Formats: sequence, C-alpha cells, structure tokens
Amino acid sequence: MSKIDEIAQAVETGKSKLIEGLVTEALGEGIEPVKILNEGMIKAMGNVGEKFQKSEIFVPEMLVAARTMKKGVEVLKPKLAAGDTTRLGKCIIGTVHGDLHDIGKNLVALMIESAGFEVIDLGVDVATDTFVSAIKTNPDTKVVALSCLLTTTMPSMKETAAAIKASGLSGFKLIVGGAPITEDFAKQVGADGYTTDAASAAVLAKKLAS
Amino acid sequence: MILIGEKINGSIPSMAKAIAEKNEAHIRDLAKKQADAGASFIDVCASVPETEELDTLKWLFDLVQSVTDVPISIDSPSAKIIAQAIPLCKRPGLINSVSMEGDKVDTIFPLIAESKWECVCLLSDDTGIPKSAADRLRVFGNLMKKAEQYKLSPNRLHIDPLIEMICTSEDGIAKVTETMQKVKAQYPTIHLTGGASNISFNLPMRKFINRAFIILAMNAGMDSAIIDPLNKDMMGLIYAAEALLGQDELCMEYIGAFRDGLFGEGK
Repeated sequence: MSKIDEIAQAVETGKSKLIEGLVTEALGEGIEPVKILNEGMIKAMGNVGEKFQKSEIFVPEMLVAARTMKKGVEVLKPKLAAGDTTRLGKCIIGTVHGDLHDIGKNLVALMIESAGFEVIDLGVDVATDTFVSAIKTNPDTKVVALSCLLTTTMPSMKETAAAIKASGLSGFKLIVGGAPITEDFAKQVGADGYTTDAASAAVLAKKLAS
Repeated sequence: MILIGEKINGSIPSMAKAIAEKNEAHIRDLAKKQADAGASFIDVCASVPETEELDTLKWLFDLVQSVTDVPISIDSPSAKIIAQAIPLCKRPGLINSVSMEGDKVDTIFPLIAESKWECVCLLSDDTGIPKSAADRLRVFGNLMKKAEQYKLSPNRLHIDPLIEMICTSEDGIAKVTETMQKVKAQYPTIHLTGGASNISFNLPMRKFINRAFIILAMNAGMDSAIIDPLNKDMMGLIYAAEALLGQDELCMEYIGAFRDGLFGEGK
C-alpha cells in the first residue's frame, strides 16, 4: 500500500493516533502536501460521506474520520502554501438566533472543512447582524450555511436569510439545513441549496463554490 | 469491561466430556473463539480430583497457549494447586480465586507480589459467606490489609462481592451493589467482578436474570465479569451498557464490536 493509500485508510477508519505519523512520513518521502491533502484525506472523506449516505456507517464513525483528517491537516498546514489552490474558499456557518443545538451544525462544519473549505464557525444562537458582518469581513466567502433544529426557530432562519439577501453582499451562495427544514422551506427563504444530511451538504457546498 | 471467558471449565458437562476424552481440538477451538470474541483472560478450570488436577491444568494450559496469547485465568479451589500452576503459564494472567478463608491469601499474594499477575478475591472468610454488606466490607478491609502487607496494588485485584441466588432473596442485589459501590469508593482503581450464573439459580429463563444482573452490576461499578464471550446477546448488552454509562467515547467501542461481529446478525 502506498503512503497516500495508508493515509486515506487511516482517515476512513478514524485512526487518529496514526495520522500524524503517517502524514509526517509522507512529507519525509517527498510527497507534495497538496497531493496528501487531496488524494489522501479529502478523497477519503468523500468516501466516508458516500458510505454515510448509503447508511453503511454511523454518525460517530463519520465524526472520528473528520477528527482524524483535522489532525492530519494540522501537520500539513505549515507546508501548504498560502495561495493553495486546493482550498475551495471560505464557508461561514452557524445556528440561527434562538437555537442552541449544534451537533448537526458541527457535523456539517466538519464535513465541509473536510471537503476543502476554510470554515468560519460562528457557533449557535447567532444574531442576524453577526452573519452579515462576518460576510462583510470575509469578502472571499463562497458559502454561507444556516442551521436550525427546531420548528420554533424556523422564522428566525427566514429573517436571517432575508437580512443576508437585503445586505446587498454577493459572491456567495446560501445553503440551509436542519431537522425541520424541507426543500420547500429552503425555496421560500430563497436559499441556493438544501440537503438532508452533512455528507450531501459538503457535496453541495463544493458544487456551489466551483 | 474485562471479560473472563468461562467456557473451559470442567464443571460444564460438555467440557467435562471433552477433558475425559482428551478432545484437544474442541478445547483449542473454544480457546481461540473466546480470544477472538475479545476475552481479556481465558479461565481454565479442570474440575477433576485434586490428584489429577495439576496434570490436567498443564495439559489445558498448553492447548490454550498453543492457539492464543490471551493470558490464562487459573481457576482452582486449591491455593496450593494454583501456586504450582502459576509457573506453567507463559505470561502473567489472573488467579481465580482467593478469599480470606484459611491461608489462601498468604499462599498466593507473596507468590505474585513481584509479578504482573492479577487476582480475583472473594469476600468470604472462615465464618463463611457474610450475610450483610457491612460484613462483606469488613472482610474486604482485612483483605486490603493483606494486599498492603504484600504490596499488591489495588488495580491488580478483582473483588468478587459474592453473588448468591436471587430467588430466595428479598432485597434483590442491593447487598451486592452496596458492597460494590463502597469498595469502588475506597479504591477507585480496583476492579469489581462477579459471575452471573449463580444469581439465576432455580429460576426459569435464567438468561434474563443474568443479563439484567450484568447491567445493574455495571451500573454499580462492576468492570470485570466471568462470562461466555460467545454469547452474542450478552456481549451486545455489555457493550450497550458501557456506552450508556458513558464509558465508550462516541460509542466507537460499541460500533467496533458490532462491525467485528461480536454481537448482532454478523458472522
């Protein structure tokens, strides 16, 4: 097995204790950092997402895979050039005002990061203004992702989406998600996209950003 | 959970037959299967007359050690036999068991003091099986004095509070759980063990009592058990209980055991 394959396998199976050593070894062998990221880790997370969609793996397995990748990326970060072309751009994510649930949002953030985005996670119970000013300070934002987990906070998502639209800021796509969200509701709030799970959210973000 | 595989025990009729017939393949197979199922120790009990016991144990140890590196749990009522059996094991395992009866502790503890051997200790003494939790804790106190005297650290001891049949009891396992909780409170690194099989004696559908017991005892701090690791239903419950007790980060042990087919519909 090549070092790249070993890295991919470590990410897929969530071997977070091994990943740092493997990435360091790969760098030592002279393998390009970008190649390690793309062909080793991002590809592996793609597989993980696919398996999750097919219900072949469980949520914790996706979490440990993403965690493993994060650890590997830490080793790569200093080696990756600033203008790294593999990064898909920035994604701003947060749970809308009034909603404190973050498991789904965290999972989406991890998957989107694993897909090659730089994720700015605003956390939970995020005020509308905070979303707008985050987009303002990060003009290279490609995706804004809103989450809510309660039917009672759906109006809050509606307001946030409307405020972002009304701000006149552009250059990014808006995606929404969360347990009570439907395709229909996503259209109502004027989102550019909607998915039902974290893995497809990452695929969608990637598609919208390119 | 520390799983002590119970299947190689001459008091089980099919195993008694295998021992009598020198059915080596059967014994090797059971050792291997228990190791593959995640046993931390493989209990070996000859259950033959004492004159033949040591030879039988040696023969059984060799069979087990020819197929797995999982350490052996030497199961004998005689401390003297245990003492002679220790050098026959390739690696440190578990003594099953000593109690405060007679000179058992004084025979075994000094022998294993300087080693990595672990030891199951029953909370009975020359007065028999203590009736109350307070009495068992008194025996435990005396036992720990011995452990200190021979410099055995608590994390090498598996305390068995003695599980009696439940059908004649009026307060269920309260005595057992109280003993377990108090032992664990005094020595957080000590192990608590127990065999489930006694508890269901004389009741129909014993498996339900055994399984309910394991879960309740785990809740009281039991982290070691003498069980059949090939019993997939029991294994599923143990992994599930560990996850529910917050002893399994992200339920990965549970998922991993499922993936390995240790329970569920798998292999």
